[in-house]
Amino acid sequence: MSGTPARYGMVIDLDRCTGCGACMVACAAENNVAPTPQATPRTGVTPMLVRKVSNGMHGATRRETFIPIMCMHCEHETPCVKVCPQQAVEVDKATGIVMQMPQRCLGCRYCMTACPYHARYFNWRDPVWPAGMEKSLNPGVATRMRGVVEKCNLCHARLHSANEKAAAAGRREIDMADYVPACGEACPTNAIHFGNLADQNDPVTREAHSANAFRMLARIGTEPKVYYKSKDPWVRALAESASGPGKFSERPAERLAASASEVHHG
Amino acid sequence: MKVTRRDLLVWGAGAAAGIAFTPVPWKILDDVSIWSQNWSWIPQPARGPVEVKQSFCTLCPNGCGLRVRTGAGWPVGIAGMSTHPITRGALCPLAFAAHQLNWHPQRLRAVRHQSSTSSWAAAQAAFSKACSEGKVVVIDGYAGRAASQIFEAFAEKRGSYRVAASPETRALAPYESWSGVPANALGYDLENAQTVVSFGAPMLDGWGAPGRFTRLWAERAAGMADPQLRLIQIDASLTRTATKAWQWISIRPGTEDALVAGAARFLLEEHLVPANGPMPPLTLVDAASQTGLTTDAIRNLARTIVAKPPVVAIAGGNNPAVAALNVALGALGQTGGIVLRSKQKKVYESADAVIPKARAVVIDSTVPWDFVPRTDAEIFRFAAWDGGSNKAEWLLPAPGFLEELTDVPTAPTSAVETYAVAPAVAKPTAEVHSAAQFLASFDAELNSTDKIIHARCEEIFRARAGSLYGRETTPVAQVASAQKLEEQLRSGAVWVGEPLKTASLKSNLLKCNLKEWPADTRPERSEDWAAEWPAPVLPPLALKLYQESSLREPPERKTV
Repeated sequence: MSGTPARYGMVIDLDRCTGCGACMVACAAENNVAPTPQATPRTGVTPMLVRKVSNGMHGATRRETFIPIMCMHCEHETPCVKVCPQQAVEVDKATGIVMQMPQRCLGCRYCMTACPYHARYFNWRDPVWPAGMEKSLNPGVATRMRGVVEKCNLCHARLHSANEKAAAAGRREIDMADYVPACGEACPTNAIHFGNLADQNDPVTREAHSANAFRMLARIGTEPKVYYKSKDPWVRALAESASGPGKFSERPAERLAASASEVHHG
Repeated sequence: MKVTRRDLLVWGAGAAAGIAFTPVPWKILDDVSIWSQNWSWIPQPARGPVEVKQSFCTLCPNGCGLRVRTGAGWPVGIAGMSTHPITRGALCPLAFAAHQLNWHPQRLRAVRHQSSTSSWAAAQAAFSKACSEGKVVVIDGYAGRAASQIFEAFAEKRGSYRVAASPETRALAPYESWSGVPANALGYDLENAQTVVSFGAPMLDGWGAPGRFTRLWAERAAGMADPQLRLIQIDASLTRTATKAWQWISIRPGTEDALVAGAARFLLEEHLVPANGPMPPLTLVDAASQTGLTTDAIRNLARTIVAKPPVVAIAGGNNPAVAALNVALGALGQTGGIVLRSKQKKVYESADAVIPKARAVVIDSTVPWDFVPRTDAEIFRFAAWDGGSNKAEWLLPAPGFLEELTDVPTAPTSAVETYAVAPAVAKPTAEVHSAAQFLASFDAELNSTDKIIHARCEEIFRARAGSLYGRETTPVAQVASAQKLEEQLRSGAVWVGEPLKTASLKSNLLKCNLKEWPADTRPERSEDWAAEWPAPVLPPLALKLYQESSLREPPERKTV
């Protein structure tokens, strides 16, 4: 792998996801997201958000599953990068991570509108912690101010640490065991597998190309680096079709389908 | 020289144009943008050395292993301890933000007496007076700790010691009454089970040590058409566990007992199980009419239950019918069923009988908030967070999350005995005293937590049984000295005992004297208990789960 740019990505096995929410809490704690008592699903900051969706049936035939939604780190025609007037978003050439720079962000929220996955969040308020709780903040991550957009950056602070460790050991490449995002580390069922998709020998690359793997809204051609896996055809269909196999009763799924429709027809 | 208006305008325009060629406006713009992005009132993380320490979660009795990252001496991040032999690095969602709990706005920071601020000296004086006037009942949440020994020793001289058992331990209570084997000596051998039938137990959503069963399920069942571990979930609605179960059986709410009786009767009549236990009185037709299932569906369920042994049935609470089904299935004392893990546990009687006669009740901070006795006795309630202050005369601030040295005995559902020591990782953020320290201040003969942990380590070393799970796994027989063993335990290792081979207790368990099918004798909450209690105090980031997403229902005040 020496000399080849990395392409960090994930495969999330939806059959293993129990919707416990450990990834959401671990992500928020790792990235110093403030607890906001006034926040709602529309105004909160949830760089990792687990959504519950169903097959639209009722009674004993009803089936539900949980889909962790985060920045998909689109490789091609990255929508947020294309619309940002401030160059506050870019795809890091060395890692493939879609980086958000809050220092450059002016808060226009074009990127939020452009993101087909609704994976971007706006800081409507200054971050506030109860008195003293700022001592519990992760020293590797700066807090963000009111008026900027934020999203998952694959725990970039952990990549920095892994790079530092590799440099201290005289290595140019990081050891992948040193770089696992907080959500992947927290998942109690090991549903989130993280790796370098540019490395053909990485188990995650093989998993991303396995039979039941799919990408969210693959047909719009953004080439996300977050893959999903499910043996259930209705789950795969939900991700690939705006109209879907049934009428999905859960609001987040409707939102997903609506967003897909907007991108498709807009 | 006369300065005209025109001169001023020309001079001003020239100055403006000239300044544009200097760095001044750009510097000002730069400074303004930097200032506006670094407002002084935005908190920034503290700088300081970052370390990783091992400890154990004390939010519930399961004691999951933690890797705690500290920055500048304060916990700044939590992750699971992958070397923990039971939980294997898995934690519940709350644990990941538990280090923020110590600064929760509801953190109890001062002694409160009848809702007004008081002092430790006043609380000690009141307790001393109560001790001299009558009996004291000490209520413990997690039995078997060093603090529990202090409570027991104190209560032996001055009153009674009682345990507010966890729901998982309460679910084992029927076996205790039928076999005489204490409920806290029993565990579920899930690692060897091939079929788990859950009657409303949230198996994938916080049952037992959260990581234990979810890890097993993920490895042996998730996404498999014919899993090695079959999880059959009986639930009225499509719960989180039902969603992911191998089979979900939807029944009318509250009719689990009827389904259990119907399935057990079919199994016994068809001789699909050894003739263990009595015949349920309910017919299959009655069971079907009550549950809303067809008789064929109940027959199919019964056949599925026994199709892939070993099988164990697990109830959501204390349900004697589910326990009787386990007797019929022969799951008691067998591999993959309900097993004996300890021979030294005691039977703790209910607190209901002793509390009304007490002069004072001391409630440890490990006891859940819903344990609020309505009694004339003076209540000394230890708590780290103010969850129900209006129910106790005295509310005493206890150490918060990882603020004190404690030990972690076996989790309520574990199939083997374990022991770990959870060192204090965080500095106390208030003047706090644990209930054990408080009681020890009244009795000089009581040992300290530290000494009891030391003695327990020596005891494990002398027994020479089991293994230590730390960075590497070491049989206790190969550990050089008791001091080495204690050092390892205090730095995050876990001792795991060997499966028990105590013939007498096991035979008691196997015999399990159940003469007739149990009626619905689930004990109702005593009328002495308070009718309602407040919502539990959760880490503030738990808002993500129920307020910023539709993942869970928000915690609410509950009414009995």
